[in-house]
Amino acid sequence: MATRDNSLIQVTDLKKHYNMGAIKALDGVTTDICKGDVVVVIGPSGSGKSTFLRSLNLLEEPTGGSILFDGIDITKKKYVNSEGKKVKLNIDELRQKMGMVFQHFNLFPHMTILDNMTLAPVKVKGMAKADAEAKALALLDRVGLKDRAGAYPIQLSGGQKQRVAIVRALAMEPQVMLFDEPTSALDPEMVGEVLDVMKELAKEGMTMVCVTHEMGFAREVGSRVLFMADGKLLEEGTPEDIFGRPQNPRLKDFLAKIL
Amino acid sequence: MCIRRGMTKVSAALILAALRFPCICRGHAFYHFIPKGVFMGSFIQLSNFPKILPYAQLFRQGIIVTVMLSLFTVAIGFCIALVLALMRLSNIRPFRFLGKTKEGYQREKGFLALLSRFNPLSFIATAYVELLRSTPVLVQIFIIYYGVFGIINLPSFSMFGFIKFDRFFPGVVALGMNSGAYLCEIIRSGIQSIDGGQTEAARSLGLSQVQNLRYIILPQALKNILPAIANEFVVIIKESAITYTIGVQDIMSAVNAVKGATFIIVEPLLVATAIYFCLCFPTSKLIAYFERRMSRGDKR
Repeated sequence: MATRDNSLIQVTDLKKHYNMGAIKALDGVTTDICKGDVVVVIGPSGSGKSTFLRSLNLLEEPTGGSILFDGIDITKKKYVNSEGKKVKLNIDELRQKMGMVFQHFNLFPHMTILDNMTLAPVKVKGMAKADAEAKALALLDRVGLKDRAGAYPIQLSGGQKQRVAIVRALAMEPQVMLFDEPTSALDPEMVGEVLDVMKELAKEGMTMVCVTHEMGFAREVGSRVLFMADGKLLEEGTPEDIFGRPQNPRLKDFLAKIL
Repeated sequence: MCIRRGMTKVSAALILAALRFPCICRGHAFYHFIPKGVFMGSFIQLSNFPKILPYAQLFRQGIIVTVMLSLFTVAIGFCIALVLALMRLSNIRPFRFLGKTKEGYQREKGFLALLSRFNPLSFIATAYVELLRSTPVLVQIFIIYYGVFGIINLPSFSMFGFIKFDRFFPGVVALGMNSGAYLCEIIRSGIQSIDGGQTEAARSLGLSQVQNLRYIILPQALKNILPAIANEFVVIIKESAITYTIGVQDIMSAVNAVKGATFIIVEPLLVATAIYFCLCFPTSKLIAYFERRMSRGDKR
């Protein structure tokens, strides 16, 4: 497989089958995500977009194929490290490098916003509490929520919650951010504030994989667009190619329906 | 009129006898000691209460024993329950590989699929819970006391000068094991009531399974199951009365002692009723208070 130099995640023939292969959520997806890429995954519901995204940090265990992250096949239980030794794959360590943002925010309701953000840096990375808090506040300031640090998630609006969820993931300083339909559960007037944060993130050069129905975002921010249907990657290309010169009939049909 | 009044008296006496008779008959060994004269007279005689007074010390010690018994039972029961609940929710399947077909698919039907889903830890915990829930606590206490601690000799000393350890300890163990089974189901339902997204968020941040449980799942689960736990605590206080059958000197044994010495039954039972109520009612109120306090974060 041809690889680009700065490839971060290489997905090869990724499969996720249920019921003895009768249901194929993912049916041989092959793609390549490079550093600095903003990959937007689009497609009709049930096409396997979310399964694909969740497979990347192993929230779903794929039944076949491989995912190379930083040169390590994370679908195998063991890998060979730089010294040539066989080492057990530490899935928690891997997930620290991949931030994930969910459709339903999944903030921890029993903690304040600040605690939500400092929990992982303190408990997982062993950061000092004061440092983690200072960093969390700086991040919150970036998304304009510094004054809500002491509030509980239930006291925030949907858009605010999602902005917190994004900076919570950023607090772990991930190499790639995965977005699973981050704006789908939001009221329309709140979609913009979340997309703005994501756009800013993309501008800063963060590698992002984003499953979304926001075609405007895909067109404006995406460096590459993947179109999935029935568990297969049917077409990929630049936003101009995908939206301007769609080739696959399924994609043409899909775009006709939503645009 | 006269005949009618006579009839009323007779029927009243019959009702009273009927009211007393079951309580006398059912209380295991009670009726051996009761002279026939006790059947006469009214249900409650106020003059009997002062006769209990000399035994107040027994009741006082009984209260302490009951409270200690309940506290230890809760502590042991909760630890057992937490371990059992985690065992039931564990996902360790040693024969998992048998469920895979040659093509790497998961088998759906058949013996191999069944075997591949077998989780020994969960099986043991489930068996324990079902066994303890389906047998009377009295039988369990007797088995622990006569069976297990008939072989293991406990040191016989007294705590606070009146709690006999060799009877208290088996009582605590038996009650703890029993309530562990019930609390296990409560904790399990609490853990399962937490949205799966919480675990996904925690794990995607890099938290380990244990950290997820410790910082995310259990704090939320405990809040949800607090009413059920309160109920179980109250049940434990009440159920501890059964330990008088193995000679633990709790409130019920004080009742028994009064009965044996004075042949007064109903009045000490009423005293015991009042004491148990005064223990249980504030307990449930106290937990209701904590519940309100913990749910403050839920409000906008």
